[in-house]
Amino acid sequence: MSRTSFRPVAALIPVVALAACGSKAGDPARQYGSDPYLPEPHEYLLPPMSVPKAIGWKVGETPTAFSGLKVEALATGLEHPRTLYTLPNGDILVVESNSPGTEPFRPKDYIAGKVKARAGAGAKGGNRITLLRAADGNGKPALRTVFIDHLHSPYGITLVGDTLYVANTDALLAFSYVAGMTQITSPGVRLADLPAGPIDHHWTKSMAASADGSKLYIGVGSNSNITENGMAVEEGRAAIYEVDRLTGAMRIFASGTRNPTSLAIEPQTHQLFAVVNERDEIGPDLVPDYLTSIREGGFYGWPYSYWGSHVDVRVHPQRPDLVAEAIKPDYGLSSHVAPLGLLFSEGQHLSPEFANGAFVGEHGSWDRSPLNGYQVIFVPFVDGRPAGKPVTVVTGFLGEDKETVHGRPVGLALDQSGALLVADDAGNTVWRVSAPHAF
Amino acid sequence: MTQAPTPRHRGVIGAGGVILIAAFVTDCTYYTTALWQWANFSAWLITAGLIVTLIAVILLLIDFATGRAGRLNAGNFILVGAAALLSLVNAFVHSRDAWTSVVPQGILLSAASTLLLLIAGGRGWSLAMSRSTGARP
Repeated sequence: MSRTSFRPVAALIPVVALAACGSKAGDPARQYGSDPYLPEPHEYLLPPMSVPKAIGWKVGETPTAFSGLKVEALATGLEHPRTLYTLPNGDILVVESNSPGTEPFRPKDYIAGKVKARAGAGAKGGNRITLLRAADGNGKPALRTVFIDHLHSPYGITLVGDTLYVANTDALLAFSYVAGMTQITSPGVRLADLPAGPIDHHWTKSMAASADGSKLYIGVGSNSNITENGMAVEEGRAAIYEVDRLTGAMRIFASGTRNPTSLAIEPQTHQLFAVVNERDEIGPDLVPDYLTSIREGGFYGWPYSYWGSHVDVRVHPQRPDLVAEAIKPDYGLSSHVAPLGLLFSEGQHLSPEFANGAFVGEHGSWDRSPLNGYQVIFVPFVDGRPAGKPVTVVTGFLGEDKETVHGRPVGLALDQSGALLVADDAGNTVWRVSAPHAF
Repeated sequence: MTQAPTPRHRGVIGAGGVILIAAFVTDCTYYTTALWQWANFSAWLITAGLIVTLIAVILLLIDFATGRAGRLNAGNFILVGAAALLSLVNAFVHSRDAWTSVVPQGILLSAASTLLLLIAGGRGWSLAMSRSTGARP
């Protein structure tokens, strides 16, 4: 085991300095795009947890949308809705889910769990998928059924041909689907095991199918913030897998992606993209979460480095060989916004502004002050690459005092009419954002 | 002359001190192995050591109130108090994630508080003078 040398007195100076002051958060706009501003990392004595209290939505309250767009509740009273998926016949699937629960290891874990629960992150998920069948005209569902019940922290969902794939936190399941079905009672075929417990820190298994439908991509998050649960439990984590749809054979497609919470295929180039939640506790402006194309065999830094070759000193032993090959992500979304939903637009149903690019649902920060995220943004694309500044599409999830939160955006989908659907897990609602001329 | 009653806080201070010293041992083991569980042991030992030390301080106040203790043993009180303050800072340092929760600041704070506690232990742990004689017990 290698040792690092250190000078005792010099090493204690930052302890005293940090006890006196915390580092100030900068303007998130400096961290948008391909070349985000990256301050020096700072470790805290007391992590600056800042979590608004979840208060839900009163009747008639809604988020607010980009000028001219209309926002209405499509469904309320759900159990922690996370992921949305529109079936070819227009039926909308809502995956209601939350963490399977993790054991606290350290005194800190008890406190962090309590604080995060304040923002509605501790609610029990439905462990089910609800189907909403749109009625003509008013966007209100005429039918609402429990589509698949008794799942185990499901998250990713996609239909290929007549097979519906659901990624539980521990397994990829396949269900036979016939157009028009409102309920599936068969248990499903367990196509592959996915990395899960006993820790399962980042539990979501995001999923997308390749453009030709032959492969499934599954995003698996790390088992810690920055390896504090040991290296052994990170085997096969923080990676994006490629799964053969028919046999269930899987391999690591890309790695070093700390928590790839949503995957999507760019419609022009058929390139796989992901939004990734980066590491915490080295500053309010570190590390920017990102949107990036995923290269086969690519390594994106976690845990050894961030944004290319910026070394994270909390990881020991270091791996300079891996840091040297770490890929810089394509597009910074600014720090701690927690992007959980990624959706490519399909034409200009909502607005000409949103004809070409990606919507990103930002669940919102818990360890940054002032808060960041808590909105849905649009990242414009040119020639299949993110280009330009993001545009805020849906906001108003936070209370005006910034101390309370009505809801938190997660997964996104387009309904058959091209309206944008937003799952809101703290508000237990699915929002429908539509152009004024549409229904 | 009858034997003065033993102050209640003394054994508890010793217990708290030993737990905090144990955190230095687990920090050293983490430093040499980088095995994460040793850092977790340290975080728990520092938290437990601080709680036990806090209980000892409460017992010290009871000792004063019930006349089991004489005047304050200022030397030991400063040694234990300084060790407790360093350990409190160290609890926060140990709440960081992975390597830097211990190296370098955490293990240095553990070493410093261990040094102070060993001296206090060598001086008999008691934070107060014995009531009957006014001398160190």
